[in-house]
Amino acid sequence: MTRRPLDPRAIAAVAALATLLAASPLPAQDARLEAAKKEGKVVWYTSLALPSAEKVARLFEAAHPGITVEVHRTGSQRILQRVMQELQAGIKTADVVHTSDAGHYVLLKERKLLAWYTPAGVERFPPGFKERDGYHFGLRATVTVIAFNPKLVPAAEAPRAWKDLLDPRWRGKLVTAHPGYSGVIATHVLALVHQFGWDYFKQLGQSRPMLVQSAVDPAGVVASGERPIAVNGGDYTFYQAKKKGNPVEIVYPREGVPLIVSPTAITSFAPHPNAARLFTDFSFRREVQQALADSEGLYTGHPDVTYPADKPKLSDLRLLMTDPEELEKRSEEIRRRFVEFFGA
Amino acid sequence: MPGVSLRGLGKRYGDVAAVERLSLEVAPGELVALLGPSGCGKTTTLRLVAGFLRPEAGEIWVGDRCLSSPAAVVPPERRRMAMIFQSYALWPHMTVARNVGYGLRFRTGLGRREREDRVREILRVVQLDGLAARYPGELSGGQQQRVALARALVVEPEILLLDEPLSNLDANLREDMRFEIRRLHEAFAITTLYVTHDQAEAMVISDRIAVLEGGRVAQVGTADELYRRPRTRFVAEFIGKTNLLDGVAAGPASVALRAIRLRVAAGALVPGARVTVSVRPHQIQIAPGAPGSDPAPAGLNVLAGTVERASFLGDAVDYQVRVAAGDLVLRVTGAPSAPLRAGDAVALSIDPAACIPLAGP
Amino acid sequence: MSPPASPTVAGRLRGLDRALPLWLAAALALAFLMGLPLAWLVALSLQGGDGATLGHYRAVLTDPALQRALWNTVVLAFWVGVASLAVGAPLAWLTARTDVPGKGAIRTLVMASFVTPPFLGAFAWVMLAGPNAGLLNQLWRAVTGAEAALLDVFTMPGLVFVVTMYTFPYVYIMIANTLGLIASDLEEAAAILGAGRLAVARTVTLPLVAPALASGFILAALQALALFGSPAILALPAGFHTVTTQIWALLHFPPKTEMAAAFSIPLLLATALLLLVQKVVLGRRGYAAVGGKGGRRRPIALGRLRLPALLACLAVMACSIFLPYGILAKAAVSRAWAQPLTWDNLTLGNFRFTFFEYSATRAAILNTLELGFLTACVGAVLVAVLAYVATRRLVPGHQAVAFLALSPVVIPGVVLAVALFIAYTRPPLVLYGTLAILFVAYLTKEMPVGYAQADATFRTIPPDLEEAARILGRGRLGVLVDVTAPLARSGIIAAWCFVFIGVIRELSASIILFTPRTRVMSVIIFDLKEEGQFGAIAVLGLVMLALTFATVALVQAVLGRDVLGARE
Repeated sequence: MTRRPLDPRAIAAVAALATLLAASPLPAQDARLEAAKKEGKVVWYTSLALPSAEKVARLFEAAHPGITVEVHRTGSQRILQRVMQELQAGIKTADVVHTSDAGHYVLLKERKLLAWYTPAGVERFPPGFKERDGYHFGLRATVTVIAFNPKLVPAAEAPRAWKDLLDPRWRGKLVTAHPGYSGVIATHVLALVHQFGWDYFKQLGQSRPMLVQSAVDPAGVVASGERPIAVNGGDYTFYQAKKKGNPVEIVYPREGVPLIVSPTAITSFAPHPNAARLFTDFSFRREVQQALADSEGLYTGHPDVTYPADKPKLSDLRLLMTDPEELEKRSEEIRRRFVEFFGA
Repeated sequence: MPGVSLRGLGKRYGDVAAVERLSLEVAPGELVALLGPSGCGKTTTLRLVAGFLRPEAGEIWVGDRCLSSPAAVVPPERRRMAMIFQSYALWPHMTVARNVGYGLRFRTGLGRREREDRVREILRVVQLDGLAARYPGELSGGQQQRVALARALVVEPEILLLDEPLSNLDANLREDMRFEIRRLHEAFAITTLYVTHDQAEAMVISDRIAVLEGGRVAQVGTADELYRRPRTRFVAEFIGKTNLLDGVAAGPASVALRAIRLRVAAGALVPGARVTVSVRPHQIQIAPGAPGSDPAPAGLNVLAGTVERASFLGDAVDYQVRVAAGDLVLRVTGAPSAPLRAGDAVALSIDPAACIPLAGP
Repeated sequence: MSPPASPTVAGRLRGLDRALPLWLAAALALAFLMGLPLAWLVALSLQGGDGATLGHYRAVLTDPALQRALWNTVVLAFWVGVASLAVGAPLAWLTARTDVPGKGAIRTLVMASFVTPPFLGAFAWVMLAGPNAGLLNQLWRAVTGAEAALLDVFTMPGLVFVVTMYTFPYVYIMIANTLGLIASDLEEAAAILGAGRLAVARTVTLPLVAPALASGFILAALQALALFGSPAILALPAGFHTVTTQIWALLHFPPKTEMAAAFSIPLLLATALLLLVQKVVLGRRGYAAVGGKGGRRRPIALGRLRLPALLACLAVMACSIFLPYGILAKAAVSRAWAQPLTWDNLTLGNFRFTFFEYSATRAAILNTLELGFLTACVGAVLVAVLAYVATRRLVPGHQAVAFLALSPVVIPGVVLAVALFIAYTRPPLVLYGTLAILFVAYLTKEMPVGYAQADATFRTIPPDLEEAARILGRGRLGVLVDVTAPLARSGIIAAWCFVFIGVIRELSASIILFTPRTRVMSVIIFDLKEEGQFGAIAVLGLVMLALTFATVALVQAVLGRDVLGARE
């Protein structure tokens, strides 16, 4: 499956909206806008799916002419690797860091690599989206789900629970993403380990699923029919695929779905701090959060955002939560054991 | 026109001495051939003269300039020489005219028009008129050779060096070119060093020949001298065919070969010393029948022999004759009329002047 | 007149080769390029908390996952060597010795396989032979109604197959060149004595080319050892690592750099050993010498086997060129690559996305081109100087020059990258994060191929061409300008092109040394793979192939012969 590029009509509509927004600047931000324009750009390390990330970037650029967004998209774990490697070499490039592994932010905050900043309007977000000290905030959220290709697996036979995936009849028909690349999956693994223990993954490994890296990838694999069942993946990617007409059905397993809130933060060494703040504010505005919900199928923390009717509300789902500190502490173990059970 | 003086040259490659204590004088305007088998040091000597190699010992003088010594070597571009290479070394990306005119640009102060005239003139001399605009790749071997000649001659060098220039031509062309080169030498009278391994070529082309062996000059002289009075076994064998007879000196002009007493060319042999005598096959007269009845003509050596093999060559007959008394086998060249056969008894007569005792091995 | 006065130092230098300081600079640069990073690599692999330790080696060699990776690599290299022989040797024999039709076309296609980046081939084969969605499997299922897949590319045999498709040209070149040196007389002598065509091939030709076969096996195995892209694309989804992918994984956060260093050393040693064996097999001359000048070669008539032979050749080329390029083209214009190409499926959207919406594309293409040009220009000059000095033996120790210039071939790309990473992410010279570190990696890696070409070029210019000019009055520098440069020009341009092609497709070193700002095309293709963006991958892949073939065409125009060395 190929990601469909930006729909021209949608972008025109939102661009119009963005221009309106820009035309009515909020007072204290005038000074900041000037400073940001002088900085000229903001460098964004993000694990948001590529088309979504590019869309947010273009929206910002349309609303703030003169400031470009340099998008560097890769998996959460790679982003952390990049940031740490660059720092080790004395390179300070990243302004805003956005990954799906909450554990990263525990680490980064500990090492004093985050700047304190509270974006406008975020007070009304639910607690899971706010860090108590104000260093990072949840930009978006997703839940991991099971997905299957209805053309290859009749709906009646499809797995309905995480445990159903262990059935030997699915051997050779599964695909999984990798916690070594994706923060979404790392969080997912921890949540399931809490529910079922490592034994669950040991058994799942015996079905030899196909390994892909990004939490965005399983949707493509299922849609193309390469493997009919995805044992995990961000629900928004399956939602998008289905909306585009691909043969993908989502299952919200009855044991519950892990909730992954993806934080965003400004680095303490940001070379373009004003632009970074401007960008962060922008990304939490209702219009942008609504765009994320509408066209990307993501959940957000914004209380005023409405979600499509065909998506279950977060409040209706049985959510499995994880503790960021634990995520950070056990990240090595998560990756190591996953490799142990799945081979690579 | 200066002469070339090589004084005690020495050059080693690793532990092999390519050239060792080599001395040679080339008179102004003379063409001297450096003749010898491969590995004798002739090409090394030539490259030393050209300035591509630095001698480890000795000096090279051209006229009254010392051009090479172990301390310093005047670089090739300032030695006022010209060289013709075995491969001709014509530049494939330049026309014949540009090849030939190349040296004129850097050695003379001539203007373009003058240079073009000279190029045209020399091409006429070597009989290549009309080919000035061609590229070397379009020419035959013989034509390429003449371009190389033209290129060397047009700059009026003080010294001309030739490194086996004819070895890439076929046999007939080679013969013609020998005479051509000789003709050009006589026309231009440039002091020339000519390296070759072909003794016939050396004999046709050169004024004198220096035979090289093992990095040294074995003998220098005209073709005639080398042929008729070789000094060493090596020279005797290298120039023309010869019979080499090993014996012991029995007197100042007499050598004992087993039962035979051979009278040799006048000399000062020390009785009892080991001597090798060289006798050219065509200087032995062969007649059928056993000797003995008639008295020997004054002074001639007369030997009785039996023909072992006779090969008819058209313009001569090549005999292999066994002389029992001396336990010898001699090669004899005989006239083609009345050839003898294997098994015939023959009498061989040899003029002592044709029996040359050789110095050393 | 007296002999020239004792020369002053300046006088002696003037008379001495002016190439000397240039050579010194080039040799020093070379030694620095390679020596420093390797020294760091070894140092770090031995670095412990307090003093030197073998602990990392112990950890690396006793870890079962790493042992598995080692084993997988050995298996991969071995089978790729064997398979490349099985494909490349017969193909070479057919085009060099028999009257199979379409030789020119076959040779061109082999050359195309040679320049295709293996990781692009791997992508294409995922789309062709993924067990469920792969188009070949879909076709098979449609035709036979079978449930199971015919081919599964996500396996070791699948990996071996794909790698072989782009490695067999090495064997082909070796064998074809060797066969070109064998005169027909040897084979005809056997035929007269009653041996049939196959018997002749088996009993006369085969023993003569045996050293070339061994050498080809080694070359192919070496390539397979050092690959990163294909194993990452085909092995990781199947759940197994090779040494290269494992080293890459060791550098993920938190990086275990010491272990990566220690794990690199066995790979380095294996490569060095293989090259040593190859040198021994080929003897001092470095190519398969069969003696003789190689007389005229009369092609062997295949008779009835002519058509089947051609079909066999085309089957190979289908696997390495037609099918993969075809599927890349299809994926580039499809919304959904796995669906048939109907009107609704056709779209230019992938092009739009790649060039106008994906912000990394432009920067990556620019970086690639910039690095390509820079490396090729600097590389061409460097190898020209070094090769000239070495072939003309201008200075003592010229053999060392050739050795140094060719030695980077011993270092697999991943290992080189790790070494550079270690050396240049710390003071005094921090190159990490800049294009400079990529430049250093590329220059080091591509030097051997450029040098080999430059060396061959100067060997075709006999020294007496230069001497003839000197004795006619031109100084050494003037001779370089008038004689050497015009004759060497096309060969050096070819060297430039080879370096350029090598740079634009390089992945195994780039994947470790890049930062978000210094991405190159191969890296963003890899990134897109991790996202499953097949359409964009196909578009970029086609761009990369276009660049490569344009450069190849340039070589052909300049040299008058194709990349494989056969004169038209």
